Amino acid sequence: MSNKNIINKNKNKNINVNVNKNTDTDTESFGRFDFVKNISLFGGISVVMVLASLIFLSVKGINYGIDFKGGTEIQVKFNDPITIKQLRNSVETLQLGEVGVQSFGEGNEFIIRFIGEKGASDKETNEKLNTVITRVKEKMTETFAASGVEIRRVDTVGPQVGAELKRNGFLAVFYCLLVILIYVSIRFDYKFGPGAVACLFHDAVITLAIFMLVGKEVNVPILAAILSLIGFSLNDTIVVFDRIRETEHIYKNKGYGFIINRSINDMLSRTLITSGTVFVTALCLYLFAGGVVSDIALAIAVGIFFGTYSSIYVAAPLILVMEKLNLSPRSVNKASLG
Amino acid sequence: MEGLRSRTWIAILGFTIGIIFVVPNFIDISRLSWWPSTRLNYGLDIQGGLHLVMGVDVEGVIATSVVRQTLVLKSEFEKEKISIKDFNTTKAKEGQFTVNVNSLDDAKKIEVYMQKSYATTLQVLSINSTIVELKYFDANMFEQKQNVIRQAIETIRNRIDEFGVAEPSITQQGADRILVQLPGMADAEKAKQLINTTAKLDFMVVSYEKSPEELRRLIAEAEKAGPYSLATLKYTEYVMRLNQDLAGKLPAKSLIYFEKNENAKSMEAGSMPYLLKTDTDLTGDFLDNATVSFGQYGEPEVSLRFNPIGANKFAELTGSHINEQMAVVLDKVVKTAPKINSKIPNGQAVITLGSSTNRETQLNEAKLIATALRAGSLPATLEQLEERRVGPSLGKDALDKAKTASFISSLLVILFMMIYYKNMGFISSIGLLINILSIFALLGSLGATLTLPGIAGMALTVGFAVDANVLINERIKEELLKGASLKSAIQEGYSKAMSAIIDSNITVSATALILLYFGTGPVRGFAVTLLVGIVTTLFANVFVSKVIVDNLVYRFGFQKLSV
Repeated sequence: MSNKNIINKNKNKNINVNVNKNTDTDTESFGRFDFVKNISLFGGISVVMVLASLIFLSVKGINYGIDFKGGTEIQVKFNDPITIKQLRNSVETLQLGEVGVQSFGEGNEFIIRFIGEKGASDKETNEKLNTVITRVKEKMTETFAASGVEIRRVDTVGPQVGAELKRNGFLAVFYCLLVILIYVSIRFDYKFGPGAVACLFHDAVITLAIFMLVGKEVNVPILAAILSLIGFSLNDTIVVFDRIRETEHIYKNKGYGFIINRSINDMLSRTLITSGTVFVTALCLYLFAGGVVSDIALAIAVGIFFGTYSSIYVAAPLILVMEKLNLSPRSVNKASLG
Repeated sequence: MEGLRSRTWIAILGFTIGIIFVVPNFIDISRLSWWPSTRLNYGLDIQGGLHLVMGVDVEGVIATSVVRQTLVLKSEFEKEKISIKDFNTTKAKEGQFTVNVNSLDDAKKIEVYMQKSYATTLQVLSINSTIVELKYFDANMFEQKQNVIRQAIETIRNRIDEFGVAEPSITQQGADRILVQLPGMADAEKAKQLINTTAKLDFMVVSYEKSPEELRRLIAEAEKAGPYSLATLKYTEYVMRLNQDLAGKLPAKSLIYFEKNENAKSMEAGSMPYLLKTDTDLTGDFLDNATVSFGQYGEPEVSLRFNPIGANKFAELTGSHINEQMAVVLDKVVKTAPKINSKIPNGQAVITLGSSTNRETQLNEAKLIATALRAGSLPATLEQLEERRVGPSLGKDALDKAKTASFISSLLVILFMMIYYKNMGFISSIGLLINILSIFALLGSLGATLTLPGIAGMALTVGFAVDANVLINERIKEELLKGASLKSAIQEGYSKAMSAIIDSNITVSATALILLYFGTGPVRGFAVTLLVGIVTTLFANVFVSKVIVDNLVYRFGFQKLSV
């Protein structure tokens, strides 16, 4: 295949073909799509989505798993079919307080869950959660011996450890955002900062809301997934920013709308392809891996989807807004030197 | 092309090192001693096992030690003829207590005495005519707290030996916690029960009624008759069974316990039998404290202090067994068996260590003995704070599924790159394969632990690594469109894409570093693979792919490379 082919192919895909609606005397165009034109529409949609997510999260609350809430989770598998009701009845006869039973994965697999009681001291809770395991195990082997019972996983998190994991989780999120804000401010002009952080906030909040909507719990690995998602999503945004900075001094006189459009169009295939490969990877993991890997992958897949959208429709337009708010020549000069 | 030759060699070298480190994960190379044998370990979430976090009641032990200190001071004040009313130990948990006195004169006497006898351990906070406030120095408190954790770890380690777990890990976590990780542990209930039992310390006199050869012969006979051995039974069961079987053959009121040989990893690998008399009733309850101290030439030794009842018993015991050995037995394991040189009347004894070894090993031995002694005299209460137990079948299922998923996703990414970027995509895919190899090699050479989230991290790294190639290839396309020659398009494509590549890797590594700092267990595995993935991506997908492209263009004179 020759160079000529490459050019042809790209022509077919219209990557750099003039669809210039501007009446500029300059023949150069910003590219295929006018992103800036629809800024208020998509910006509005984003604002609505973030607000809806925030309301949903505050009304329904974040469904913390036992990592953060403290409690005991026992995963049991049976060889023969067992109904969830049978299992629940048998566990309830132990009278160990409130118990949750849910089916898990395919086949006869269940999760039995106990949460520490309110008002009990840490020590009491620890001891109770601990005895729960032994009692349930005895009961299972006694009642369902014929059905071939197997205890596959036990997780017990005491109240102290739970509180600590929660604190560390929030600290991690906080430091993550802080480091990003500092990095973006050092690496780029200050006007890029709010766009980047707004973008990350947008992605993280919507992902969390969707995660709650499909009935998943937030545990330590999910928090980790959301944090790395912030890293991935930021990278998308930064690549666009980098391009904006580069384009800035070439088309300085064409205005920021043009510069942003041009930069996003230039980076569009890269953004879509990279997001696409990570998205497909995450989707594969979600579909085939199961368990904790599946949950991590779901958070990342959802996050990447919104992250891609936000680096086009949230981050870059916010620069435009910042630019309109502050038209001091200093900032433009600084940015173009940057 | 400048430096192409050296870059090619660096790439080949990196690739070769990668292969060398990956091989041990798939092929048994134990016959080749020069080959690096570090390999990737599976985390508990994959190989199954027990993960426990135990809280240690450090304050409780400090409080006990304060109360014991006041008893010692009481008798010392009597000797010094300082009259006092009593002690107040309500703040004992903070290592603080007060002496209630009758006059300022007595208080001052106490202050002088403390400076003379306790200059490094206790400080006088304040004195007046009714109260002397005393507190352990911060450094001393810290040392004491560390000791409590250390002895709790030692106690747990002692018991874990029971199970013959291949690679148990017992480590301190934070100020007052112990993390116990037992890979492949099936009987979690039993393990928890053992960990939670308080340590038992006994002082027993060694019996010489049977010679060491006779003892070994008897043991060998019993094992043969059983048949059983330390390899088939847990230590306590083995010892019980052995002593039962030898009941008639051993002298009355004596039994056999073992000491773990120096340098032996487990009891099974090397143990030394002792015949011990059971009629001495001196247990850890009578011991007040044990510390590492230094003799007149600065040689490390272990100081013991018994409480008043213990002191009498100890005096009696040492008096009647001069020139015999006294074994320190913790949970049925002989820790040391020093010779009794003379009668020790005041309950204060010193265990000296042989002079044959160097100071470093002596100090370590002294610490070990002191720790074992304290474990039995000042046992810390443990509280279970967290438990994670994974059955072996679950881990294996999860691993298989995660492997399949990663395989499919990597394949899709490679296929896409080859179709979309044609020749350049093929080169990117080679880079990607080298990347995957390098991740395994690096994780393996670090002896890192692969967890389920770690596998997710690895698969995501693959999906993300091609980002570098996408950035580069898109740039090359752009340059070609501008009408640049292939050579300059490649040159420009790589160099202009670099800033974006560096940026995106810095952002991901920043979040990964934060995760590594705040995360625990499996999440750390995730962060580690992300970080390792960034390094290998820069090597494989950027550096190596450039080397390949340059070689094709400059060395083999390729005029066109489709992109």
